Amino acid sequence: MLEVKDLRVRYGTVEAVKGLSFQVPTGAIVSLIGANGAGKTTSLRALTGLVRPSGGEVRFENALLNGLAPHDIVRLGIALVPEGRRLFPKMTVLENLRMGAYLQTSKADVASTLEMIYQHFPILRERGRQRAGSLSGGEQQMLAIARALMNRPKLLLLDEPSMGLSPIMTAEIGKIIRQINALNVSIILVEQNAMLALTLAQYGYVLETGTLMLQGKAEELLRDEGVKKAYLGI
Amino acid sequence: MTPDLLIQSTIIGLSIGSIYILMALGLTLMFGMMHIINFAHGAIYMLGAFAIYYIFSQWGAPYFAAFVLAMLLLGTFGYLVERSIYRAVKGGIEPTLVALLALTTFLQAAGYPVFGQLDKHVPPVFHGTRNVLGVMISVERLMIIPMAGALVVGLNLFINKTKMGAAMRAIEQDKEAAALQGVNVHVVNGLAFAIGFALAAASGALMAPIFKLDPMMGEQPLLKAFIIIILGGLGSIPGAILGGLMLGLIDSIVATALGAEPAFLLSFVFIILLLLFKPTGLFGYAPP
Repeated sequence: MLEVKDLRVRYGTVEAVKGLSFQVPTGAIVSLIGANGAGKTTSLRALTGLVRPSGGEVRFENALLNGLAPHDIVRLGIALVPEGRRLFPKMTVLENLRMGAYLQTSKADVASTLEMIYQHFPILRERGRQRAGSLSGGEQQMLAIARALMNRPKLLLLDEPSMGLSPIMTAEIGKIIRQINALNVSIILVEQNAMLALTLAQYGYVLETGTLMLQGKAEELLRDEGVKKAYLGI
Repeated sequence: MTPDLLIQSTIIGLSIGSIYILMALGLTLMFGMMHIINFAHGAIYMLGAFAIYYIFSQWGAPYFAAFVLAMLLLGTFGYLVERSIYRAVKGGIEPTLVALLALTTFLQAAGYPVFGQLDKHVPPVFHGTRNVLGVMISVERLMIIPMAGALVVGLNLFINKTKMGAAMRAIEQDKEAAALQGVNVHVVNGLAFAIGFALAAASGALMAPIFKLDPMMGEQPLLKAFIIIILGGLGSIPGAILGGLMLGLIDSIVATALGAEPAFLLSFVFIILLLLFKPTGLFGYAPP
């Protein structure tokens, strides 16, 4: 579904991503793990057009994404839940969800998606008229994910969804990610919480300072001595 | 000050305030979304006034048609400025400011040979006076209030009730997040330029029958609009409305009581005091 070949991203003179290749099969959860500065967030920004790749190729269902603007990439069916949630704090919960459906033209479709979202996130229905900025961290993360789902993406990119959340909330988010995947949405999960990422994903890529160090089935990575030491803290 | 004089200066203050609000709304909208100060706002006000002079008093079109046409023409010009200047510098704030200053200087300098200086005026559109609370006020001044009011209400409905308006609010809060929802940020920024320019043109068009026309006539309202958006809080629409009303009333009432210079001075004293106690302005907020 998504094929990334030799992706390079440069900020000025610094190359943040130095030739990264990976792929996401349809229906899979793939996870990118690595320490701060490994290039995970930058890779997601490149996939969604927020930064222009300086080299390499990104293909989504055979369409070349290089050089497309973010709004064109969203239209193709890729949604990003950015690091730090990036909600519209002064808008209500419902307005945030409606912004997620910005490209949807059919009111009936939006209404049925909204109903589906409320079934998965009942708390968002309750909080509908509240300002997004007033929600708790966990609720904000749910809203950020729900907002991304409003456009009915085929591929969902999640950047550090567990950041700043309690262990209970993190487990809840994990459950939600599985549910979304069960709705036939492929997922790229970027996490510093490697344990969470590798338990959810089928396949994992380990990044270090912009290059791919290791890749493999998630269960194999979980058993890998190097990964255990460096990322799982065991 | 007699009660009659107070009523009169209050109503004049409301009408001046309405003009200030129209000017300030576009400025604050563009600042909120793009963090730029549109220095060309005064020059567009001037072009709006001259558009009324040519379309209404020279070519004989009905005033309302001329008014709408002036807004459309200068709104389109605003959109083109976004497409050309703002995109050429890739949204860089400093280069945009320099380019807008250059555009202002060019429009004003070109105004002297093309339009002439203080030798044109627009004949009255609304004639006579009207008794308001026992005081006679010229209908020309009075009509500014409902016309500007309609534009202010229209803009608020647009921003709060339409999808495009929601996209503008989204860009104001987080430009990247807006793009990630599918908002074409360029197009919506262009729309903000168009709205800002059209409102500045409307201000000039409303004032055209009241003052003689001059290429530099937009500088004074531009300065007032700067004060208002700082007073109201940069980027805040309710702030621009309240700030505009306050400044209009101060200007008119203090000018009637003490003269124009003290009024000008007082508006600055007022803003300094307010900023001492609330540095973000009336409705401004410090980003987290």
